Order: sequence, then C-alpha cells, then structure tokens
Amino acid sequence: MTADSCEAAAPILEVRGVVKDFPGQRALDDVSLTVRAGDIHALLGENGAGKSTLIKIVTGVYRADGGEILVGGRPVQFTRPHDAQTAGIAVVHQHGNLVPNLSVQENLALGEALPRRLGAFVDWPEVRRRAADLLSRMGLSIPGGALVSSLRPDEAAMVSIAKAIATDARLIILDEPTTALLPREVELLFGHMRRLAGEGHGFLYVSHRLSEIFDVATSATVLRDGRKVWSVGRREDLRREAVVAAIVGREKSLAAEAPVSRMPRSEGPPVLEVRGLSSARVHGASFTLRTGEILGLAGLPGSGAEETLDLLFGRQAPEAGEILVGGRSRRFASPREAVAAGLALVPKDRLAEAALGGFSVRENVSLPSLGRLLTDPLTRFVRRGAERELVSGVVRRLNVRATGIEARMDSLSGGNQQKAVLARWLGTGARVYLLNSPTAAVDVGAKAEIYRLLAQLAEEGAAVLFTSTEVEEFPRLCDRVLVFRSGAIAGELGCPDITEARILGLAVGLADSGRAA
Amino acid sequence: MANDRFDLVNWFARYGTILFLLLLVAGFSWARPDVFPTKLNLLNVLNQASILLIIASGLTVCLVMGLFDLSIAAMATLGGYVVCKLLVDQGDDPHVWLTVAGVLLLSGVVGVLNGALVSYLGVSAFIETLAMGSIITGAILGYSESRTVLGGIPEAFLSLGQEATLGIPNPVIVMGGVALLLWLLLEHTQAGRNLYAIGGNSEAARLSGIAIKRYALVALGISAACAALGGMVAAANLGAGRPQGVGDTYLLNAFAAVFIGASTLRPGQFHILGTLVGVLLIGVISNGLSILGVQTFWQYIVQGVLLIAAMFGAGMVTLRRR
Ligand SMILES: Nc1ncnc2c1ncn2[C@@H]1O[C@H](COP(=O)(O)OP(=O)(O)OP(=O)(O)O)[C@@H](O)[C@H]1O
Ligand SMILES: [Mg+2]
Repeated sequence: MTADSCEAAAPILEVRGVVKDFPGQRALDDVSLTVRAGDIHALLGENGAGKSTLIKIVTGVYRADGGEILVGGRPVQFTRPHDAQTAGIAVVHQHGNLVPNLSVQENLALGEALPRRLGAFVDWPEVRRRAADLLSRMGLSIPGGALVSSLRPDEAAMVSIAKAIATDARLIILDEPTTALLPREVELLFGHMRRLAGEGHGFLYVSHRLSEIFDVATSATVLRDGRKVWSVGRREDLRREAVVAAIVGREKSLAAEAPVSRMPRSEGPPVLEVRGLSSARVHGASFTLRTGEILGLAGLPGSGAEETLDLLFGRQAPEAGEILVGGRSRRFASPREAVAAGLALVPKDRLAEAALGGFSVRENVSLPSLGRLLTDPLTRFVRRGAERELVSGVVRRLNVRATGIEARMDSLSGGNQQKAVLARWLGTGARVYLLNSPTAAVDVGAKAEIYRLLAQLAEEGAAVLFTSTEVEEFPRLCDRVLVFRSGAIAGELGCPDITEARILGLAVGLADSGRAA
Repeated sequence: MANDRFDLVNWFARYGTILFLLLLVAGFSWARPDVFPTKLNLLNVLNQASILLIIASGLTVCLVMGLFDLSIAAMATLGGYVVCKLLVDQGDDPHVWLTVAGVLLLSGVVGVLNGALVSYLGVSAFIETLAMGSIITGAILGYSESRTVLGGIPEAFLSLGQEATLGIPNPVIVMGGVALLLWLLLEHTQAGRNLYAIGGNSEAARLSGIAIKRYALVALGISAACAALGGMVAAANLGAGRPQGVGDTYLLNAFAAVFIGASTLRPGQFHILGTLVGVLLIGVISNGLSILGVQTFWQYIVQGVLLIAAMFGAGMVTLRRR
C-alpha cells in the first residue's frame, strides 16, 4: 500500500503555523500540515474553513501574514503564482484556470516554454502534437483545437486537471476538481493520481465528496474556522464517523449523516406537466411534477436532464411540446416570464450564471424579490428595512457564513456563495424549484441542511425538480427519479428502487432496471 | 500590522479623490486668495461643471449596466442646435418649453433606438453608439448647412443658461434636479438595482427574472436625453446654437468624470455621487489652472494623469484583496 511504503518519505511540502488575515476576519490561524512523497493528502473542512485560502498561500496567490512554508525542505517566499510553478507546484484552483476563448492546446501550452522555430516563431505543429499526445495519455477524447468555451464543464475540468498533472510538478494541488466530473472521469483522475503518487509525487486534495476521500486519500487534515482541528497520517485511521465529526463538530455530525426524513408525497395536485418536450438535446420528454414532490432528473451531462431544466425556465425555446404550470399551458419566452409564473432556477455554473461577485450578499439575495419590497407601484423605491429583514432571514435559514449581509459576494467561500444563490429564491415565494447541482461545492453539514430545507419547502407545498452530477444525492433526496439517456427518459425509479447502481445502469443503458417510460 | 496597512490603502481608494479635491481647493485658495475662493468664482466653477454633470449623470446610468454611450457628444450638439433652430424658426411667439420638451423627447427616442439596435440586433453598444453619433453629426451638419443660429433666440430660453433663481444660477438648478432624479433612480428604485445587477453579471440578472434587453433601451434613452439637455444648457449659456463641436469637449470629460467617480466611495462601481466628485474635480482643476495662468495644454496633461491616478486607486483595492 502506498501509504505504508512512503511513511518515512521526505516531505515535499511543509506548512508551519501559517496565519492569514482578511479584513474583519482571520481566515487561517496557525495552520500546519505536511505532504510527503507518495501522499495523497486530503484537505477537508466546512465551507469557509480556509482550504482555498491555504492553497492560494502555498501557490503564491496570497501572501501569508505569518508562519512559513517549506518546499522540499527549503523555506520559500512565493510572491506570485509563477514562483510556485518553478518550485514544482502545480495547481487546479476551485474556479478553474483555463482561458475560455483559447483552444485546448493553447491552454495546455500556456505558461510553458513554447517550442520554437528559428528561435522566434512558435512551432504550432509541435504544440498541437504535444497537446494531442497529452490528451491521449490522459485518456481524453477532446480535440485539441476546440475552444475551451465550447467544452462541457466536465471536459473543461478534465483539461485543467490534465494540464496540472502533465507537468513534472512534485506537488499537485487540486481544489474541488471533481465538482463537474462524471463518475467515469473521477475514476480516470483517481487512476492517474494513484499512479503518480506511486512514482513519488505528492497531492493536496480538496473535496466535499467524502466517498472520494476514502477512495483515494492516504492522509488528511481537517480545518475548522481557520484552525487545524484534526489530522491523520495513515489511511487506516481515515474513518467516516471520525472525519465527519472533525469537519462539522461532534454535536452536529449525527444530523449531517442522518437521512432526510419526510413523508414521500406524490399524491398532490400536479403543478408542472410536461408533454413531448423537444429540442436539439431533448427528445419528447413527458412527466408530471406534483405539489410536495422532489423529482430527480438523472443522467450523464448532455443526456437531456440539465437541458430540460433550461427549457422549462425559458432559457431556450423548445422546438415542440407542451408545458402546463398549475394546469395552464405556458410558453415562456424568457426567464422573466418563468419567474413571474412562480418558477425558480439555480443554474449549474455559479460564477458565470448566478453570482454578482462585486455586490453585497444583500443585493445578491434580494434581486428576484425586489418586486415584493417596493414602497408603491409608481416610484418603485425599494424598502431598505424590509429588504434587510428578508435577506437576514433567508441567509440565517441557510446558514450562509459571511461577515454580514453587506459582505461582498466574492469574499465568501465557494460553498457559502452557493448557499446564497439558493437563498435568493426563498424570498420570492416560488412554487417550482428547478435545481441544477444545488449542493456543488457545499460541505457535508450544509448539504444535509440543504436537503432538509428542500424537504421542508416540499412539505410547505412547493415542488422541486433536481439534477446533479453526484449520483449519490438522488437516493438521499428524491421521491422519484427519471433517468435520461441520449435525450429521452430511459426509465423511472420509485422510492425503494432509487439506488446509485440502478440510476447509473439506466443512464448508460446497461441494465433494464426500472420500468420503461 | 498587515491590517492597518490594508485599511489605509482602502481608505485612500475610497476617499482619495475627495481628499484630493479638498487639497486642490485649499491649494488654489492659498495661491490666489483674492480670486479663487470668492463667491463669484465658485459659482462660476459650479456653473461650468453643471453642463458636464448633466451629461455625465446620464452616462453613469449607461455604464452602470455596462454599456458605453459614445453618441453623447453628437446628442449634446443636437440638443443645443435643434432647439435654437426651431425656436428661431417659430418667429415672434415661440412655444419655448414645449419645444425644449419636444427635442428632449426626440433625443430620448434616438437613445431608445440605440438601445433597440444594441439589444435586439446584438450589436456592441460601443460601435453602435459610435455609428449613431456619426449619423447624427452628419444629419445636423446637413440640416444646418453648417450655419450657427445666432440672433433671435428667445430670452426665456437663454435664461436657462444665463440667469439665476434665488441667487443660484439656473444651470446649477437643472444639474441638481437631474443628478437628484438619477441618484434616486439608481440608488433607491428597483430599476436601479436591476441596472446594477445587469452590469455585474447579465446572465445572472436574466436568470433572476430581469428583462435585460429592455433596460438597454431605458439606459441609452436616459443617457441621450441627458446629453441633449446638457447641450441645450450649453447653447443657452452661449447664446448660440452651434451645429458642430459643442459636445466634443464634453465627451472625454464626461467619461473621465464617471471613471474618476468609480474610484470614489464605492471603488469599482459607477455611481452618481462619485460622478459628482469627478465633475467637480475636473471643474476645479481647469478653473484653478486658468486662474493661475497655466496654459491649456497643461490642463489636458494634468487631467490625464489624474484619471490614471484614480484608476490606480481603484485597482489598488482589488490588488490588496489578494
Ligand atoms: N478575498 C477575500 N476577502 C475577504 N475574505 C475572504 C476572501 N477570500 C476568502 N475570504 C474569507 O476567508 C474564509 C475562508 O475562505 P476559503 O475560500 O478559504 O474557504 P474554503 O475552505 O475554501 O471554503 P469552500 O469549501 O466553501 O470553498 C471565508 O470566511 C471567506 O469569507
Ligand atoms: Mg474553497
């Protein structure tokens, strides 16, 4: 086993007593950790615990306010990301690091010495050859000439990862790399990680998906509120209860692991009926969503599950089919009409489609509810007091961690931004929630809180359409799951049959579990 | 320790421009105590600044939602010239305020047309307004046959730019009205919030149920009407309707003022109060330097340096956050 054989290996990275202050809060307080050759070291903790901040310090994006960092036993002072790269550290940040309007091969070549001809001109055929070589070594079938902006999110993520892994960096840091990945790609990634660890590279790995941690990590450090609260150096000591308890605190750990308990209700009146919905990616989807129901739409990316949400919300016009909301046939020309009809959408890409980074949490959360906070219909002034009250209420309900509702959205940690995006819709009184990976980047404790919130919304009479790249979420949350394959609904799973295996089976077309739709 | 330094930088980014404005006022007052700090001169500064602020406030609304409006120069010329021309053509008993309202409406409609082209044809606002500016400039040159309207402009209209009410020059009153209205719009209404949201992340705004295309019509319409109004006040002040070149002096200054404003109080965001500070800064500098007898070319250089310094101040905050 890798962990055992490398027990005494030399440390690649040592972090000693690092401190980092942001205005109004200390993000890291006396944090130490060690990554040895052959280690896959998991860095764990709640949203806002300080994981990304620590990574940014190690890679020279931020500067520490105290403590020291040793790479290969030598103290280093990185002032810019390039320094870290030269010192043999490769990183995939939480928000990716590709240039969208460049091609895959150009991105792969970025930051490296380009092959030259006559000393000055870039040798493009050579760049292309290297990229193709790298992609095939990684087991990816992505054309090197494709623009990054044209890739699916999971493909883009794999390209970032490929770029990091392909360098001969001794230390490879991955900050929530799997948020967008398919199960197959996760396996691919883990295969490469194990191989590289075997060859003596070290990994620092952040993920909120604990099953992955137990799958691949050999050691771990847990942060809470910027402090190191727990660490283990041996794989045998990585036990689920211990890890969860360390992350969320002992008293909350039971709640985090408990299944979502509620009466499954599929007897309510239908709020959303979809008949023969079709577009370029969806072929004749028909289903009914009832009041009080949490209906899962599962399927691989591109299978039509996510596209169905976009069609329902008026982001794209369907080519054919009928949508009935509350029994009335509707055709939404824009999201605005969908919102007016009581629909809410949490899109997949938080940064590009949901968050207003430079604005306060208050402005982010109240945005779709402003219409209910006006003094009068004529001047349409916003009532500040009522706004603050509404925002404070939903922010508290979702436990968004920030220095206050006036904190800038982009100063929040990834998971807390995600919670704020979800919180946005709670004030609107929406009846139908369309949620695309609503718990991406959210920690274990908060995930359970969001599940409970959704269950509560359903009990209060709302209905939820849910999709996620994380298959294990469906059994925990949904009353019923429709599995999409190549644009059509391949099957439906009811309460006792919702298991990861059956969903995946239907999604890839292996088993004929469930009844055909 | 690190925290102290951060706060200082942060403080400068917010209040640096205001501090600089105060320092300039103090400096000019010290250099020419007999001329600069007199009531007459300060009113003169305000008077000069008022036209710029009227135009820059409208531009602020556009930039808030992320649209560049380069047609404001032509629109200001249009406002000033067309009003004078129509008033003179009406002969003895012109409907002054009706004509003013009509021309404002006309320019607003052209602005809305800008918005429609930008939103529904997907043209970039930068290019579209540049093109529209060129069209308007050409149209006015043709319509006027390059002749300036000089005599026969009714007193009632000229009073807009030359008289005072209760001791306050009329242009300053118009400026106050426009700035107050747009401040209320941007800071206190739902429409203002939506404009900011669109500027921040238009896809997020769209998915929150905001009709982002319609807001382009509103913003460019407001900007065009404000530019025309500024042009009218300038024409009334000058007592002539010039068919070219009126707005050009204001174009660069308006953009400079708005961007200086974006590094004031709320670094990184466009807002009316900041624009006001930017306009005053530009006004005080040009007034002060001419009082000191500094040549005009210095004014351009100083203003350029100032703009870069302001941008630097705003940039520091973002850098420091790392
Ligand atoms: N640029 C910044 N300015 C101010 N505060 C910040 C900034 N970046 C992070 N913080 C704060 O520092 C704390 C740690 O944030 P960090 O992003 O490291 O959390 P994280 O552990 O990566 O969380 P997540 O799992 O949600 O990604 C948070 O409370 C966050 O609000
Ligand atoms: Mg993070």
